[in-house]
This record gives sequence, C-alpha cells and structure tokens, in this order.
Amino acid sequence: MKRADPKGGAGAPSGVDKRVAAIRAGHRATIARAITEIENDLPQSGALSAAIAADIGRAHVVGITGAPGAGKSTLINALLQQYAARGRRVAVAAIDPSSPITGGAVLGDRIRMGSSGGADGVFIRSLASRGHAGGLARATRRIVDLLDAAGFDVVIVETVGAGQSDVDIASLADTSVVVCPPGLGDDVQAIKAGILEIADVLVVNKGDQPLADRTERELDDMLHLRARRPGWRVRVLRTTATTGEGVSALVDTLDAHAAEAGVGRRRRQAATPPPGDAVSDTLRRFCESDPYQRLNAIEFVESAPGSATMRMRVGKSHLNFNGKCHGGAIFCLADSAFGIAANQYGVIAAGIDTHMTFQVAVSEGDVLTARSTEVSRTAKLAIYRVDVTRGDGTVVSSFTGTVYLTTRRHAPHLTP
Amino acid sequence: MNKPLADPVPASIDEAQVRWAAEYAAQVGHDRPVQNRSGIPIKPLYTPLDVDPARFDTDVGFPGQPPYTRGIYATMHRGRTWTQRQLIGLGTPAEYNARLRDILDQGASAVSLIPCNSVFRGYDMDEVDEELLGTCGVVVNSADHMTTCLDGVDLSTTSCAMNDPSPFTLLAFMLATARRRGVDWRTISGTSNQSDYLSHFVANHMFFRLALPGARRVLTDHIAWCGEHVPRWNPLSVVGQHMQQAGATPAEAMAFTLSSALQYADDCVAAGMSPDAFLPRFTFFFDISISFFEEIAKFRAGRRIWARLTRERYGARDPRSWRFKFHGQTSGVDLTRQQPLNNIARVAAQAMAGIFGGLQSLHTDAYDEALSCPTQFGARIAVATQNILREEAHLTDVIDPLGGSYFVESLTDEMEARILAIIDEVEAAGGMYRAVESGMVQRRIGESARMHQGRIDSGAQTVVGVNAYRVDEDASARPALPKPDPAGMRAHVRGFADWKARRSASAVDRALADLARTAQATGTGGGNLFGQVVAAADVGCTHGEICGTLRRELGFGHPLVVV
Amino acid sequence: MKTRPKVLITKIGLDGHDRGSRIVAAHLRDAGMEVVYTPPWQEIGNVVKLAVEEDVDVIGVSSLATDHLIVPKLMAALREADLSDVAVIVGGIVPDEDEQALLDAGVARVFHPGSPLEDIAAYIVEATARVRAARFPALDAIR
Repeated sequence: MKRADPKGGAGAPSGVDKRVAAIRAGHRATIARAITEIENDLPQSGALSAAIAADIGRAHVVGITGAPGAGKSTLINALLQQYAARGRRVAVAAIDPSSPITGGAVLGDRIRMGSSGGADGVFIRSLASRGHAGGLARATRRIVDLLDAAGFDVVIVETVGAGQSDVDIASLADTSVVVCPPGLGDDVQAIKAGILEIADVLVVNKGDQPLADRTERELDDMLHLRARRPGWRVRVLRTTATTGEGVSALVDTLDAHAAEAGVGRRRRQAATPPPGDAVSDTLRRFCESDPYQRLNAIEFVESAPGSATMRMRVGKSHLNFNGKCHGGAIFCLADSAFGIAANQYGVIAAGIDTHMTFQVAVSEGDVLTARSTEVSRTAKLAIYRVDVTRGDGTVVSSFTGTVYLTTRRHAPHLTP
Repeated sequence: MNKPLADPVPASIDEAQVRWAAEYAAQVGHDRPVQNRSGIPIKPLYTPLDVDPARFDTDVGFPGQPPYTRGIYATMHRGRTWTQRQLIGLGTPAEYNARLRDILDQGASAVSLIPCNSVFRGYDMDEVDEELLGTCGVVVNSADHMTTCLDGVDLSTTSCAMNDPSPFTLLAFMLATARRRGVDWRTISGTSNQSDYLSHFVANHMFFRLALPGARRVLTDHIAWCGEHVPRWNPLSVVGQHMQQAGATPAEAMAFTLSSALQYADDCVAAGMSPDAFLPRFTFFFDISISFFEEIAKFRAGRRIWARLTRERYGARDPRSWRFKFHGQTSGVDLTRQQPLNNIARVAAQAMAGIFGGLQSLHTDAYDEALSCPTQFGARIAVATQNILREEAHLTDVIDPLGGSYFVESLTDEMEARILAIIDEVEAAGGMYRAVESGMVQRRIGESARMHQGRIDSGAQTVVGVNAYRVDEDASARPALPKPDPAGMRAHVRGFADWKARRSASAVDRALADLARTAQATGTGGGNLFGQVVAAADVGCTHGEICGTLRRELGFGHPLVVV
Repeated sequence: MKTRPKVLITKIGLDGHDRGSRIVAAHLRDAGMEVVYTPPWQEIGNVVKLAVEEDVDVIGVSSLATDHLIVPKLMAALREADLSDVAVIVGGIVPDEDEQALLDAGVARVFHPGSPLEDIAAYIVEATARVRAARFPALDAIR
C-alpha cells in the first residue's frame, strides 16, 4: 500500500520532465505550484496534466459532502488520524465557497481539520469555489489526478455541501460519503431531495447527540424504500468525530467499497478528452465555421453537451468610442458559448431570447472567458446561463439565454 | 410694525418642547443622526418627557436597595471608594515582587498578577520559545515562584486577583504559599479573574486551555471547593471585557456576560448548590470604552437586570446574591499608538465613566499599552489618574451623581431593553453554552467589530491622531519597551531546572496520577477536580504538569474561530 | 498573471488576541482575496507547511504581545523551505526599536495599529504582483 514519500523542501525544479519527476516523488512545493497553475488555468498546466496521465487511477478518491455544520472537517480530521494509523498517505482538496459579490473567500476548512493537517503524511490544499460550478469540477478533477500521480494512497475531496456543484464533484470520487448531522425528519427529507442520491456511504456524525439514533433509523428506512441497485449496498454509519468513535469502522467500509467498486473508474468516465481528439476537433471546426466568431477573434476552449467555454482577448477592434470593450463584443462572446453549449445534441438549437448585464468595464488587453452551463432542458426548450469573467476572476457580465430545439439535424460534418 | 413677538415664557412644557424643536431645526438645518456604539439613536436633547416619574420608585430607587440602579451599597463611593487594582506582571518572580511593592507604595490597595503568556497557554518555561518568556507577564510555574512574588504581602488583609484561567493553578500556588506561612485560608480574599471559560472560548482565546466540557466541569468544581475552603474568595468573575475588546458593542458585552452568568448559575444549581451559597461570590469584569454615557448606562442597566434575574429566576433571598459587583478596566482598544500621551486623556474619560457607572474596583490602563507592555512610568500615571479623579476632582462626593438626569435615565432604559433582547436571543439558542458552541455569539461580535472599524476607516468615528488631527511625530518621544533582564531570566530558567531535578519525583507522580484519575471519573463519584489541583500544587507539581495532565484527560481547548 | 492574491493570515507564539487578525482577514476577503486564516498559536513549522501547500503569495503575521520577537525564526524557516519569494508582513504592536530587526530579517513591511485596512489590502495587491511576476515570468507575454 505504501507508495511514494511526499516531502517538502527546497529546490522547486523547472522543466516539465523534472517537475513531473518531482511530483511523482511527492515534492510538496512542486505539487502545490502545479495546483496553482491548474486552478488558474495557466497555459503550462496542460503539459503537466498530459505528462502525468499515465500515473493516474491508483489513489482511492473519497468525496465528502454534506450541509454546512454537519461536521465534515472534524470528520476528516478523525479520518486523517485513522489513515495515518494504518500507514497511508492522504491528500485533501478542501473547497470553500467564494463570495458571489466580491469573489473573495476565507479558506478555513483546513484549520477545522485540526492538528492532523500538520502531519508529514498529509497534504492539504484549500480551493475557493470561485463561483463556477462546472469549471471548478473540471479543475478539481485535474487536481485530484495530480495528487494521485504524486503517490498519495487516498485523496479526499471536501465540498461546500450546497447542491449541484457537489454532485458534479462527487462524480469524480470513487466513494462518495454524505455526512448528516443528527436532526429532525425534515432535515433528512431535505438531504434526500438533493445530494443523498450520490451517496455510497452515509455518515451520521456527532453520534453522541440525542437525535443521532433517530436520524440513523430514518436514513436506514429511507434506504430500504429505495430500489436496490445491483452491487454495492449503501450503508449508514455512525461516528463521533470529536472522540474518534466509529471512524475505524468508517475506514473499513470505505476500503470495502474501493475493493468492490474499484478505483479510478468514475474519473475515467468523467474525464473530458484531451485536446486533439475527435470530439474537440469537430467542435473546433464547428466554431471555425462561424464567420462572426472568427471576425471577433473568439476561440474555442472546451465543451461538453450542455456546456462550453470560449475565450476572447480584447483588442483594438473590440473597443468602443470610450476606449473600453464594446458591449456587442462581449455579447458576441457570451452568445457563442451559449450557442456551442446548446448545439451539441445533434439538432439545431435556435436562440429565441437572451438577457445580459454588464457589471464591470473591460479594457484592451483583458482576456475574457465565457462559460455556459445548462440551467434546464425540456423536449422543446433549454435555458442556459453564461458568466463572462476577466483574467482576475471578476465576473464582468452575466447572460441568460433560451433556445428552441428544432427537429432539424446539423450538417453531417458538424455533427459531434 | 413687525408681527408681535411670541411670549418669551412658554405656557406649558409641551409648548416649550414644540418651540425648542422648531428653533433647533431652524438653526441646525440638516441635523446629523447620532447613534451610540450599541446602535441606540441619540437625540439632541432629553427632557422630563423622556422619563416616566412613576418608575422612579421601582426602577431607579435608592443606592443599596434593589434593583440597585444607583449602586449596590448605601454608601457607594462616598463611604469607601473603589479598590485600586493595577494589573502588573513582567519578568521573573523577583522582578514582579519589586514592582508590586512599588505600586502598593503608590497607593494601589490590592494585588493583581498577570502571568506570562506561556503560563496562560498552560506551559512551563521549559516548553516554549525563550525569547517570549516574561515579556508580557511574570513567569510563575510553581508554589515556590508564587511565594517569591508575594513576599512581603499580607495575604490575610490584601485582596489578591489572580489572572488565572481553568484549572486555577495560580490560586493553588497561592494557597500553598499561605499554608507555608501559616495564614488561615478562611481569611484569604480575592478573585479568580479569568474563570469565565465561555468568554475565553468566544473572545480571549489565549486563556482557553481545556475543551469546553472539561472547562465546564473544572469551573463548577472550583466554585464548590472555594465556597467550602476559601469562603472569602470570589471563584468566578464573569468577563464582559474580552467580548467588548473583541468588538462586541457595550450592549452585547453586557448581554453576553449576563447570559454567561446565567449559564454558570444553572450549572451550579444542576450540581446541587443552593443559589444563595454561590451567587454572593459571583463577580463581573468589564471593559470601559470611551463612549462615555453609553458605558454609564450599560453599568446601571446591568445592575438592574441582575438584581431582577437573581430573584426571579433563582429565587435568591440573600441580598448579597442580587448585588452586581464589578471590576472595570479602561479599554485598551481605544488607545492609539499615534501621539501616545493623548491616551492619558482617554483613560481619564474612560475611568470617569466607570466611576459614574458605580464600579467596585478599577484598573486604569497605562498610556503606553498601545505601544508595548506598559512601562513602570506609564503605570504610575495610570494610578495617579485615579487619585486625581477621586481626590482633586471630587468625583466621589455624591453617590450616583448622574441619577435623575433625563438623558442618563432614558439611556439606561434603552440599554436595558437592548440587553434584554439579546439575552432572550441567547436563551432561544439554548443558553450561552450552546450559543457559543454554535458560533452564534462569535459571528455577532465579529460583525460588530467590523462595523466599528468601518466607522473609523470612513472617518464617521473620529480617533484623534489616527483619522483626524494628525501630526508628524518624533518616534524617539515614544517610551522604550521594557524587557525582562535576560540574565535574571536565564537564572530563573536554570533555577527551575535544578529545582525540578531536586524535588520528590514520587510525590509529584502520585499527585498527578490522582489528578488524572479524578478527571477520568465521571459524575460526582470522582471527587473535586480543583481540590486535586490544590493538592498537586502543594507537593511541588508545576503549572505545566498540572495543565498537561488535565489537557490529556479532558481535551485541549481549541476555540471556535469564526471569521 | 492577474489573479486574486492568496494570503495566509496567521499568528505565531503565545498570545491569543485575534481581533486584529480576524478583522484583517475579513477585510481582505471582502477586497476579493482568497485568505487562508489560522487561529493563534501556530507552530512555525506548521506555518511553513501551510505556505508551501497553499502556495500563498503573502503571509500576514499578527502580533500584539511581543510574539514578533520570534518572527525572525519564522523568516529563517521560510528561507530553509525555499520560500524566500513569499512576501511576509507583520501587523500589530511592534516597538520602533524592534521594527528594524524585523525588516533586517526579511520582513517586507510592518503595519502598526491604526493602519487603514485599505492600505494593507493595497500593499498586498502590490506585493502579490511582484511575487507572481517572479514565479511566472513568461505569463505577461502570454496574456
């Protein structure tokens, strides 16, 4: 089970090969810097991610989610101690929410994880959600891959505990743990409505509190009502993270799940193919076939059905008479991301209504990124939201758009 | 001719009020809204219309009579002025003792001891960075050290305040000193100044040594043990100071302090104590900010609320249980590094607010606290400030001289209402223990701190020398930082190591094992934890050993930090 | 690279007065920064580990009661870990005679009581730009 020995220390190497070697050897500073590059989507991060592709799929990725106050951080602290006792090296990616208004964040989770964060075999990195659920999930997957390649036996991903973004991030975990505080029936119902569906293991934390029995019973009842899927049987466990009670049994269960369901499988499914493969080529062609996008120097970054990311560097030709970026150019960028996201289901999606706000003035030289995500989709209509951000992460414009889904298909060479 | 003039003498108070309001509005033009730190709007004028004379009997009354709005004793400062208690501590026990004698000679009437931050954190001197030893307090790790600190002080007549969080080793060391000198414990008086673990968990994290449940148990045992063995000692001082220093408004600080006191009283009742046995020994400790009238009203309102709560909630019958005794300390938060001598004026204004608020004991900050740990020179001016206010300005000739002021009585009522509303919120959250566990109190204080800072940054609140009236300063005018004599500290550290090697290891091991066993036992069967601490101190266990044992058994205190 | 500054706000030593560090952390968050916040009493080794793993641009150390005396030890430990490029600022009560010793030890700047929060934030933005320019030299050419 023991793998590479992550060390901290001097001499961050340069050059992709040397850096990959340092990452494989568990050199903390190199790992940390590489995470910064992925988090900020810097150009050099692509080469690193590609170079470690062969190393991934060995770490057991455990997603931990649950409502704020459920005790996720204290549970992770207890898990870190338990893993340390079993001689395993663990990395944690802890995601804290960014303020939707200022974009700032206080990254406090690692502190709530207590003393274990100081241990040699543990690497913790805090990440701010930065308001982009889809983008965060993608960066998180690449960060998890990196930590996997760095030789950690277990990679824990802790999420904010607030809905869809957790579901996205959970999709890359081998084992998803949902932490529930002891509470009343209503709370359990609320959990059920959302993230409970993704759980492989349910944990009632703060097991010493009076309502813990009842919550455990209610969760058990709920699982019995659910249709049993073949394979893994979802379990409810009780822990008291502050005393460590039940944590050893939890690790046993996590190990059992990894043994039965395997590791690395979900990440492989969720992985977006690297640039250069068939799908991306098609989409790139799709974009290049759009003369208006070409005119505005809008480039394709990535996409998946229902989402797309496009980029535009603001040049002289984008400016208005005030010397700032013309609203029409920003609209064009957002509209392109909207169009690409909506047109990936094989049929032509026709835009019928859009709204856009301009929050911040944009200057020449700024690089704008538009990310579209699908808000809803029916047989006839789909609604998309597009955030346009500047290089520093500031959201400069917000866009919503609705398409009508026709029955006509795209020309064959444009069909993904 | 011009139109006839109105009669210069108004026919009624109502007419007078209307006429004044019109003239005021005409002359002021656009009136700026004023509110105090607690968020209470302040009008430009208060009149008989702002107070209800019928409430004078029930809510204001006379000093020495419930609800004690005008003071808890009939004589108040006219009879006996407040205790002049200066917090001091620096360097080695010998250095402390020399400084203590100096302060007593200057007119201070009671002893207080601030230990080094290493002691606050529960460590002995051989467990921390030596650069930090004694820079902010005296390095006391054993009963021997306490004996040196208190050399020449008559323990049976001098009131001693120990800044001594749970598990109260400094009191244990002092009791060992008294036993060696043959002083009867029943004559010893003073206060465990830092016994309020809830305030430490919320705001003064430095003093938070044991995890919440352990701290709760040690305090309840401490109150019970002192009641039996050191009956003149105040085992509990509920501290509003930390919370106000951390940013709570005066109303919040008073409300959270009273809520904490209710929590402690509830815990004592649950442990089987009778309210009239422990309530007379409850004392309070507050910050006095420079928001002058607000502070006076805060104290008057707090007294009134406590008198009612002790009777109505606990059925206390002994008037001593109803009396809200408090120590006040002028607020260091209001002091500035810029133009530091200005702080002398600030401290004087703060001290006056505390005196008019009816305090029982007062610490005035040295003007150089915002620069460093106070110098001896600064500490002397701080004591002199109190002497001047009392004997030159004659602030103590009349009891509650602001009583009956339309403004002060009205503001007292408004502060009372605001305080009670916050106490209700805490009750709704399940009491203070639960409210701090959940972080509700911390979040609220943090918000208030930021609002106050915002008012200073925006210039809405003037701070002379900081955001207004700035001058270029000569840095050399600032006092030099007192640092403990390094040779003396090295000798102290060496002496401690030698002594540890010499003492009876078996007696120490036995005492620590007893302490651990008592801590492991649950319920009331295990004996009194504080009693074991006193026994351990007496046989030569050190501060770090006692704290370390309890931390191991009861859990290290990690405060809940909310940003 | 124009990105949000990532700042570690921490306290080393023995003192626990954290009003200042909490106010500063909250202000920096509201100024759009990503702030890793710690409670008081961090061991120097742990601060270094945090700075490495979180890859911060700036470390802010708060000191109110003489804990600044061990900041030179922190600076040495950061150098040892090859983190000399991180800008370290100290805020709180630092007597004049000690300030120069801190600057000599490599501290970038000392903020005394009464420093406007805007000044602290502005300084961090500036310092971050310097740190980033050194760490990612090619980036300005790319973007």
